[in-house]
Amino acid sequence: MKDLYVFLAVLKKYYIELKRYAFNTVMMMGGIYILFALIFLGMQSFNATPETLESTIVGFALWIFAILGFSELSWSILEEARNGTLEQLYISPVSFGRISGYRVLASFMVNLLLMSAFLMAMMVGTGHYLNLDPGVLLLVFLTLLSVYGIGYMMGGLALIFKKVQATLSIFQFLFIVLLMIPAALDSAIIYVLPVSWGSVLINDVMVRGTPFLELPLNSVMILLLNSLAYFAVGYLVFGYLEKIAKQKGLLGHY
Amino acid sequence: MTEMALEVKGLNKTYPQWRKESVEALRDVSFDLSKGEVMGLLGPNGAGKTTAIKCVCGLILPDTGSVRFFGEEVKDRVARYVSAVLEGNRNIYWRLSTRENLEFFAGLQGLSPSSVREDIVSLLKTFKLEEKENVPARKLSRGMQQKLALGCALIRDTPLLLLDEPTLGLDVETSLELRNYIKELVRDGDKTILLSSHDMNVVEDVCDRVVIINHGRVVADDTVKGLKDIFKVQAYEIGLQGRWNELRDVLPEHYNIDIRDSHTVINCQLKDSKEFYRLVDLFKERRIEIDHVKTKEPNFEEIFVKLLDGDRR
Repeated sequence: MKDLYVFLAVLKKYYIELKRYAFNTVMMMGGIYILFALIFLGMQSFNATPETLESTIVGFALWIFAILGFSELSWSILEEARNGTLEQLYISPVSFGRISGYRVLASFMVNLLLMSAFLMAMMVGTGHYLNLDPGVLLLVFLTLLSVYGIGYMMGGLALIFKKVQATLSIFQFLFIVLLMIPAALDSAIIYVLPVSWGSVLINDVMVRGTPFLELPLNSVMILLLNSLAYFAVGYLVFGYLEKIAKQKGLLGHY
Repeated sequence: MTEMALEVKGLNKTYPQWRKESVEALRDVSFDLSKGEVMGLLGPNGAGKTTAIKCVCGLILPDTGSVRFFGEEVKDRVARYVSAVLEGNRNIYWRLSTRENLEFFAGLQGLSPSSVREDIVSLLKTFKLEEKENVPARKLSRGMQQKLALGCALIRDTPLLLLDEPTLGLDVETSLELRNYIKELVRDGDKTILLSSHDMNVVEDVCDRVVIINHGRVVADDTVKGLKDIFKVQAYEIGLQGRWNELRDVLPEHYNIDIRDSHTVINCQLKDSKEFYRLVDLFKERRIEIDHVKTKEPNFEEIFVKLLDGDRR
């Protein structure tokens, strides 16, 4: 039950902050939409095929979703350290790693609503309607699990080095590359990279119209293993870096 | 037998430095705290107070040593026993309102919203924050923010409370108010408090016992009264009739001679009774009439400085 109450507290805080800063959220989504529109129009002017355009919608939405989740783990640690609240999170009966996991889950739930609305707006705005199979939710979650794993690693580095904003920014653009690799490269490497294979499967369902249940089981299993591996490694690395931060007395320092 | 709320034994902590000499933050630091006691942790800047408190909280891993809460050695998840206010008003979420902060920290402790509803109302009342319950923390005054930070630690309902500089930056009135809350906490409930502060008045007013740390070592561990008694017998105020300015040439430099309207007041520390009798002989020789001799209650700040001075030597 303790964990449930911690999760509810984290979810409520996430929601309150989002609501209280609704203007910021709306402006952020508006800005992102304009960026998307510019990319979409640019691609249209190069006579991109409808499939490419629809893949762009999926890729862009997935990228934003990934950035939001990634930020929740890495940027927020920097913010908490700067504000002086990070140490309070460590003085909890639930480990900080788990609290961070709950934050990710809370952000996934809230961002899912935001991204659904955003996706609708993209589809209406472009006139390209995608196949909205409920199974996509699972694929998105599994794809983002690898992002969260990387987020944990970066969060661990943030605990120690604090000034990692530049690296975090680079990672945000690295996700674009990872999402684009499958289109550019027909290689088995996409099975081991984070995000890439997940984006292939999501495209299969949303763009090519393959029902989720008709996806080959081994394809979904590869995604599951890939995501779990990244998540587990990320979590372990975070634990290791957290221990170093505690040994060096760096928690809460900024 | 008195139950021990906190036992800190042999804490050592060294911070290695890149191309520099390592910093020994704690050297064999040991102290304990009985249930219901308020203990002050004192020391100059960089003495190791915060490192010691953070080791107790599990935020810093000591190289060696142990921390036991109510007889149980805990290396992780100390939150069952401890809540803390570590950086005054920086421990709260500035975007959340007063009530939302209290609710969040209760949730963080794994407490259900319904179980703390009444406690929140009571804390808002105690800290006179009822009218500010829906105001974002960033819009509160510093004093209110520190009271809220203390409230957020109290809502966790742990038996041990660690307060690092709880009155730092507060005006006299708010500092007094906060001190009274701390005293009430111990009187009304079964809270045990470890408090670090630079403010000697706070320590003298609130604490039963004091541990003084300097250069990472414990240099004194006694009750406030015990420390005062040690120094009490050595400090004297001697009043003389008449103005005796020439005594400045005769008496040692550390004697504080104050010439007033029709009398002279000497404040001094005497090594032993022989020194006192020598002084009386000197007054007799010069036909100086003694008006009064008082043992002086030592100022706690002076005791602190003397202890650190002794440690330096």
